[in-house]
Amino acid sequence: MGDVILTMKGIDKSFPGVHALDHVDFEVRSGEVHALMGENGAGKSTLMKVLTGIYKKDSGTITYQGKEVEFHNTREAQDAGIVIVHQELNMVGDLTVAQNIFIGREPTKGIRIDDKKMIEDSKALFKRLKIDIDPRARMKDLTVGKQQMCEIAKAISHDAKVIIFDEPSAALTEKEIEDLFVIIRDLRAQNLGIVYISHRMDEIKVITDRVTVMRDGGYVGTLITKDCTKEDIINMMVGRVIYEEPKTHSMCPPDAPVVLKVEHLNAGRMVQDVSFELHKGEILGFSGLMGAGRTETARAIFGADPKQSGKISVLDKASGQLKEVTINSPEDAVKAGIGYLSEDRRRYGIVVGKSIIENSTLACLEEYTHGIFIDKKKEKQVTEKFIDELATKTPSADQLVMNLSGGNQQKVVIAKWLVKNSDILIFDEPTRGIDVGAKNEIYKLMNKLAAQGKSIIMISSEMTEILRMSDRIVIMCEGKKTGEMDIAEATQESIMDKATRNIS
Amino acid sequence: MEKIKQNPVVRKIGFNRVILIGVLILMYLVFCVAIKGFAAAGMNHFMNTLNYVYFLGFLSLGVTFSIATGGIDFSIGPVMFCCALIGGYCFNSYKMPLGTSIVIIILVGLIFGIFNGYMIAYQSIPPFIISMASMNIAKGVGAVFTHVNSQSFPLSSDPVNGWFSNIVSYKGFPTGFVLFLLAAIICGIIMYNTRAGRYILCLGSNEEAVRLSGVNTRKYKMIAYVICGLMAGIAAVFFVATYTTVQPGYGDQYNNEAIAGCVMGGTSMTGGIASILGTVIGVFIISLLQEGILAAGFGKDIQLVVTGIIVIVAVYADVTARRRKN
Repeated sequence: MGDVILTMKGIDKSFPGVHALDHVDFEVRSGEVHALMGENGAGKSTLMKVLTGIYKKDSGTITYQGKEVEFHNTREAQDAGIVIVHQELNMVGDLTVAQNIFIGREPTKGIRIDDKKMIEDSKALFKRLKIDIDPRARMKDLTVGKQQMCEIAKAISHDAKVIIFDEPSAALTEKEIEDLFVIIRDLRAQNLGIVYISHRMDEIKVITDRVTVMRDGGYVGTLITKDCTKEDIINMMVGRVIYEEPKTHSMCPPDAPVVLKVEHLNAGRMVQDVSFELHKGEILGFSGLMGAGRTETARAIFGADPKQSGKISVLDKASGQLKEVTINSPEDAVKAGIGYLSEDRRRYGIVVGKSIIENSTLACLEEYTHGIFIDKKKEKQVTEKFIDELATKTPSADQLVMNLSGGNQQKVVIAKWLVKNSDILIFDEPTRGIDVGAKNEIYKLMNKLAAQGKSIIMISSEMTEILRMSDRIVIMCEGKKTGEMDIAEATQESIMDKATRNIS
Repeated sequence: MEKIKQNPVVRKIGFNRVILIGVLILMYLVFCVAIKGFAAAGMNHFMNTLNYVYFLGFLSLGVTFSIATGGIDFSIGPVMFCCALIGGYCFNSYKMPLGTSIVIIILVGLIFGIFNGYMIAYQSIPPFIISMASMNIAKGVGAVFTHVNSQSFPLSSDPVNGWFSNIVSYKGFPTGFVLFLLAAIICGIIMYNTRAGRYILCLGSNEEAVRLSGVNTRKYKMIAYVICGLMAGIAAVFFVATYTTVQPGYGDQYNNEAIAGCVMGGTSMTGGIASILGTVIGVFIISLLQEGILAAGFGKDIQLVVTGIIVIVAVYADVTARRRKN
């Protein structure tokens, strides 16, 4: 670890009604990877936005390279050498890699853009990062992991001294994360200061040198990573102990009836001949690498995307027999008793501009109408019931969903399917972007639902989540099902082995 | 200021609506002071404004639904004229009874609505493209059907069909106003108290999330455009009952006026948020403005410029308000 390159002291920031940052201290040394942790809403992003000039601080000082500074926008911060690599990639898909890296500051020859120089410079950047990407490739043809590498290349092309990674691993596969870590270590060796924001505890232990924890807009403390345990960090974040013990045996009785049977499902390249069964009261984990076809399988079952062939049968409550159903649209799937909670809540799960009430009854509004009129009283009652039951944190049922935190938005989506009383729930990455405390609540809730007889398919890229929650695990790789195992016999190694089976 | 905002009545109708009503009253007062003879003419200008409100109001109420889905309908003005022309030709040349002609007028609007809605919702063609095309089709069909002849409808002095003008005014009583308010109330109920309205607003905000909740989003998107077309048909009835004559080849300017009234009232061009009350007030403002411009001695061209500016200002205000929220 080198000298202190950046110090933020007593940073205070208020928004109307919220004290977002309460005299927060933070420092970065050159040649260190410094984790910034905290639950959603703890103020991590706000702090970084103050640093890079997106927000104006109310008080406090920022000292950078020995001088007090105040940036007025990201451009100024960038020029000074402080760069953010965002969680959502800001890339133009139809432009080439080189064009994306130099967007807004293209080298010119006269009035023409000097493409040659751009490509040469990109090559030099990639060489420095020791990665192999063709600067002439179209951005949209690259994997998410490669795109992120380009974003990093763009960051260092600004001659960055401090790089902030905002949840860089959220969309990456395990292999890509390893590559990312190689790059980060390399940058550290080149004496850059690196801020690493992530919710994933395992990564923090692997990659970072120090950890600063924030809670409710305040500074809690800074630890040396190698001297502390996961539990120490979590305790600082939430102020209470959380146990992340894996399940040792299935909670689902062996004679539980099959509620959903999928046979030889085919949907495009990503879903090839997938068959499996889901039992009543079971949590069936879907594991695999990013791009293994798990989400595509779920979307095909739910009718969100078209499928080529395959048979889907659902338990018919009246006869107690499996009955084949035709699902050509989400409408059909919902009627068959299936609910889908997307991995991308904001885009596919909630209507952010509408209230909790409107979101909660969205899937079964017909049950809350008299004739053609919506029964607003009944609607409010049921919404409030589920706000209580799921412990959703909100001032009222009329609150717009956009004002809720990620965990609470997820609860609204869950409420939607509970109001509909769907028996089969597909949770696609249920805790993505959700902080540790809320994550635990979602886990508890899923277990409770399973105990009540709901059947759950849980798609997850987090191994700990799969091992903690699943009764049985289906593993996919490149569009095919490559394995299925009971939780009792599942280990990280056996799952990874099957998840990489098709990859040579 | 905060106190006014917290007032239960103000909260119910929305602070922006209260401001709009203020703007409307202020505008009237400014016209009275600034335009010579405006106050003296009194009821005259007032009735002219009301007449304008009738047909424009129906157009604007209708387009509120398409804008609520996040779409747009640029065809309503010419569609209104097309309806009136076809109905007029049926009445004048085919000698159909007036009642039948009125039904035909409304049906033509409905057909345009169904066409637009089907192409937009089920064939996924951008609303902008479809409604631009429909606008030209409506103009062309209206002209071809009537052999490019303007169509006249009976005056109130007509011995047989004089009742027609009662739709807008009965012995000096503004029946049109009552009917317009009634239509606005029905639209309000559809928008806020029925499933169709709820789904239209939700899909305007996030269509994919609504579809993945098991809602047939296409159907409800189509319904929005069908309502829009139907309202254009009804607007046509009110237009000819008021002005008795329609010419082929016109109608575009009413698109902008109807959209201006709607957006000014607080309906968001990006969809998901719509205010029927706002549209009603917006329509009054636009209509009074048109009357004021004419009374001040300016012509149609100035009306177009002013309406264009209003659309830009209203959308700009909406966009900046949103940006501030985020």
